[in-house]
Amino acid sequence: MTARLESLKRLESVLENFLGRAVELEINNLNTVSRIDSLDEIARLSLKGRLVNQQLGNWFARNRDYLDSDRLKETEVETIANLLSEIKKGLDSSDPESRKLADEIERWKEKGVVPKRKLILKMKSPAGGMSITEKFADYLGREKVLLEQEEYSQEHLLSILDDILKSAEAKEDHIYIHLAGSIIYFLRMNGYKVSPYVKRLKQIEKERLGIAYAE
Amino acid sequence: MLNDGVKAYLRALAALKDKDYRTGVGYLKIAQNQFDNSPDFRILKETTELLLAVKEEIFELEVENSEVKELI
Repeated sequence: MTARLESLKRLESVLENFLGRAVELEINNLNTVSRIDSLDEIARLSLKGRLVNQQLGNWFARNRDYLDSDRLKETEVETIANLLSEIKKGLDSSDPESRKLADEIERWKEKGVVPKRKLILKMKSPAGGMSITEKFADYLGREKVLLEQEEYSQEHLLSILDDILKSAEAKEDHIYIHLAGSIIYFLRMNGYKVSPYVKRLKQIEKERLGIAYAE
Repeated sequence: MLNDGVKAYLRALAALKDKDYRTGVGYLKIAQNQFDNSPDFRILKETTELLLAVKEEIFELEVENSEVKELI
């Protein structure tokens, strides 16, 4: 029995060493992707309309050296840029702390760490450059991406609407208002009672866009 | 956004780095659909599962040994 135990312990040691080396090979990759993973978590929270100032500030503080280094690969840069771009859309420009974080994102962009990259290239030029039809198509495309989030895959459209309305309340980006309106209209067409949601949306429009309706 | 499979793989690697093999194998199972075509992934998962089986066997033998010693 002792010989068997010894053999098993040797095997255990061999397997642990093997796994240790295999993981070590992945470790740089792991560190990088862990950073991206934590930024991804922040972006997800932001998409839900949560305040992410503190998490984002901490993320920048923890990853300053990494962002300053030349070690970033093009794909990493692109992923980080896209996530920061998503997060930035959700920052409230009326809040000084959020403005500071938005400036921080801009600063990385200017330094080329979040380079003159796809973050900018992917976005069409604002207002002047897009026709109203292109703007509408752009909204529809972005709305589709929002709705295809993993967390919505099992949700009823009413729950999604509730979440989108929360985002519309919290975020500067007007896309949430448009998407909420679109979902409300679709639900109404399908016989759902939508008046509480309409009321919420009207209130948000009033606060965010300055549009008021006669009661 | 990172998909759930990639996230699970990352968490598996972090757990394996900390020698938390049980947690690691749990995350590898979640990540399986995403990486099932990767031989590296399969080796990692199967090695971790084998290691857990070996550890279990060692534990049982050690318990058995100590019981025998107590009897003697």
